[in-house]
Amino acid sequence: MNANSLHFSRRTMIRRLILTTIFFAGMFLLPVHIFAHQAPYTAVFLDVTPDRVGAEFQIPLTELEYAYGHHVTQDPATLIQRLGPELRSYMLLHTHAYKDQAFPWKVEITNIHTEQEQQIASGPPFWELRVNVLLIPQRSEDTRQFMLAYDGVVHQVINHVIFVVVRNDWETGRSDSLTSRSDPMTIRIGSDNTVHPLEVNIKRGNLWTGFKNMASLGMEHIRTGTDHLLFLLVLLLPSTLVARSKKWAEYGGIKYSLKRLLKIVTAFTLGHSLTLLLGATGLFVPPSQIIEVLIAVSILVSAIHALTPIFPGKEYYVSGGFGLIHGMAFASVLFNMQLHGEILVLSILAFNIGIELMQLLIIALIVPWLFLLSRSKGYTLIRVSGGILAVFASLAWIVERVSGTPNVMSANLQAVFDKGIWIITGLAVFAIVNFCYYTLRRKWVLT
Amino acid sequence: MKRKIIGGSAISFLVITLFFVACKKDEKTSSSSTSSTTSTSSSGTSDTSGCSVYSGSSKLVCLANNFLNTLSSTQKSSVELSLTLANAKNWSNLPVSLAPRNGIEFSSLSSTQLAAALAVVDAATGTGYSMEGYQKFMTIRAADDYLGSMQSGYGSGNYFLAFLGTPSTSGKWMLQYGGHHTAVNVMFDAGAVVSLTPLHEGVEPHTGFTINGVTYTNPLTNDVTAMQNLLGSFTSTELSTAKISGTFSDCLMIPGSTTNTMPTVKQGIAYSAMSTTAQAKVWLAILPWINDLDSAQAATIKAVYKSELSGTYVCYASNTSAVAGTATSFLTAATDYVRIDGPSVWIEFCCQNGIVIQNQIHYHTVMRDHSRDYLGL
Repeated sequence: MNANSLHFSRRTMIRRLILTTIFFAGMFLLPVHIFAHQAPYTAVFLDVTPDRVGAEFQIPLTELEYAYGHHVTQDPATLIQRLGPELRSYMLLHTHAYKDQAFPWKVEITNIHTEQEQQIASGPPFWELRVNVLLIPQRSEDTRQFMLAYDGVVHQVINHVIFVVVRNDWETGRSDSLTSRSDPMTIRIGSDNTVHPLEVNIKRGNLWTGFKNMASLGMEHIRTGTDHLLFLLVLLLPSTLVARSKKWAEYGGIKYSLKRLLKIVTAFTLGHSLTLLLGATGLFVPPSQIIEVLIAVSILVSAIHALTPIFPGKEYYVSGGFGLIHGMAFASVLFNMQLHGEILVLSILAFNIGIELMQLLIIALIVPWLFLLSRSKGYTLIRVSGGILAVFASLAWIVERVSGTPNVMSANLQAVFDKGIWIITGLAVFAIVNFCYYTLRRKWVLT
Repeated sequence: MKRKIIGGSAISFLVITLFFVACKKDEKTSSSSTSSTTSTSSSGTSDTSGCSVYSGSSKLVCLANNFLNTLSSTQKSSVELSLTLANAKNWSNLPVSLAPRNGIEFSSLSSTQLAAALAVVDAATGTGYSMEGYQKFMTIRAADDYLGSMQSGYGSGNYFLAFLGTPSTSGKWMLQYGGHHTAVNVMFDAGAVVSLTPLHEGVEPHTGFTINGVTYTNPLTNDVTAMQNLLGSFTSTELSTAKISGTFSDCLMIPGSTTNTMPTVKQGIAYSAMSTTAQAKVWLAILPWINDLDSAQAATIKAVYKSELSGTYVCYASNTSAVAGTATSFLTAATDYVRIDGPSVWIEFCCQNGIVIQNQIHYHTVMRDHSRDYLGL
């Protein structure tokens, strides 16, 4: 880097401006698709592991009131304080599972609370009773085929429909969602005007397929975990540069950059592995909202650092520290799956491997272009505009996660990152064009 | 360096501004599409199609082709679908945002295209009965504009029309149209209507309403009155035989009814156990649903339903504040419910809590047929 590239010609400046603007603007003008479910049906999500089945019941209070009475729709926020034990008994009365009716499985309620759900597109928010139940075979029976005899609400409300989906199946990785066009199992009144138990029958898998599925779940979690990715990318933005008198200065060379990169990524990995282990085993489970907010804060901090060095040379402390926080978010995925014993250990290992693989893949896809670009002064533009965008994105997330309601910007971010491959392609093209331009120009100047 | 930081900031600012401008623009287009309305005062089918020389299903097929001819090839491909069970079952009572419909959306059509689409509906439904058929469809759409004036996501533009199979007077095809509170599925075979179900109609509010300067009578007035008259004609003994325990927060055979099965065991009071006064009211209560189809085309099925009256049952649920002999005391509160279940015909009428207007009830109804729904699919 020498005198001839120290200042931009006006034309270069404008060219860059246009390119960068198109590149980042393109990221935001993409459609959003939201799926959710709405009243008035019950949704039951099954988390199937080899020795037990978790079931989450989401029961709209308006329908529950017709079946159970007690004005459950009045003051739903304090419903559990008011009627907690009675609602537990109601659920136990209407929830049974067995392979052989003579040996019913143990039914254990692990959580009961009310939650406000947003209806998509229109309609006021509505309240649901959420009940988490464990169904545990008592005679070393497997969990691949069993009868679910649940008739909550539908014992009274004749038109009520209960949709049952396998949300997680550890052995096969089956993971069904409930959307307007998915084909879930149903419990509803039969042609003889009575309600019959539902036979749940899941294809067999084994420990190896389970392990693979947990690894791909980890990969998927990073691929779609926009916030984790953004944090890592923003932290890497200035990693090839040398900080000088509280400003980012020139490219520090391949060896310098690689060393810093390695330190940052390793620290992040160590951090999130530790809290993933603690969280997935249930030893330390902080409230998810706080974690989500802290993750957004971590992006904000590293974005500011990309703009102006606030902790130069100490990146790995920061990435390690924030790794601890991101790990807690990873842990919540596993914690919700009702894993247990050796299955849990295998899952943590596989999930973490998946996370690492995906991170390395993404770093491998992006870092070469950063190296190429950071040799030239034009890199400042990428770094600064990337940093500023990350500041705005993180602020949008902080607002969303503190207030609990999405805003225009946060609602569009996922769609933007779904097109990640185009962002990377854009970056690559920009890097190559930029590199060629400078190589040619230098040649031309020298000759 | 400083200049570059300023440059970077300027770019980011520009990008963010662009983003918000784009969002604003989006909002604008969506609100204008929901407020598009269509006059319902006349059937609005001044004949430019040359189809008026035909009648019955020949006219309908002519108008269907006329509509297709107004469309671009892309639009056509969204209207012309194959006649499969999956396509036929894709109807719903829910707002379209929750349950995407088959076919082309009214709001995407030009005024010429929309007029051609409505001419198809007009020919299928007919204008022979006041407050039924075409008039009912247009008033239900107006009611959705009324809801749209209070809450986004509703509006007369959010209705769809599709042809499953090729409209013809020789082959088999299905006319499918609807949106929120309307789902019509009429099947034709060799120029004759072979099934007019599943048919869903509903409306919110449960009273009349005024929107865009026009005042409408509630489109389900005939339906609710006929059902009230039926229940009001029962003696208290008949009422206790007809009553079933349990609660209905909605009709039983409404979607997700794509997965449901109609009860084969009939409940309530048998036609043969009713007084002749009540028996007469059963047929009168079925008519408002059949009358939503063009009378000439519905004649055959109508005759079947009439001939099967002796095997028909009536049951009802809730109606806790009802008084025997007083028709208007029935179907007044949420969960008040009545069902007519014959060898073929199945009609349910249910009062639900309001969704947009929460302090009052609204109506959901469905007509099904034990043997003709999705006939042959």
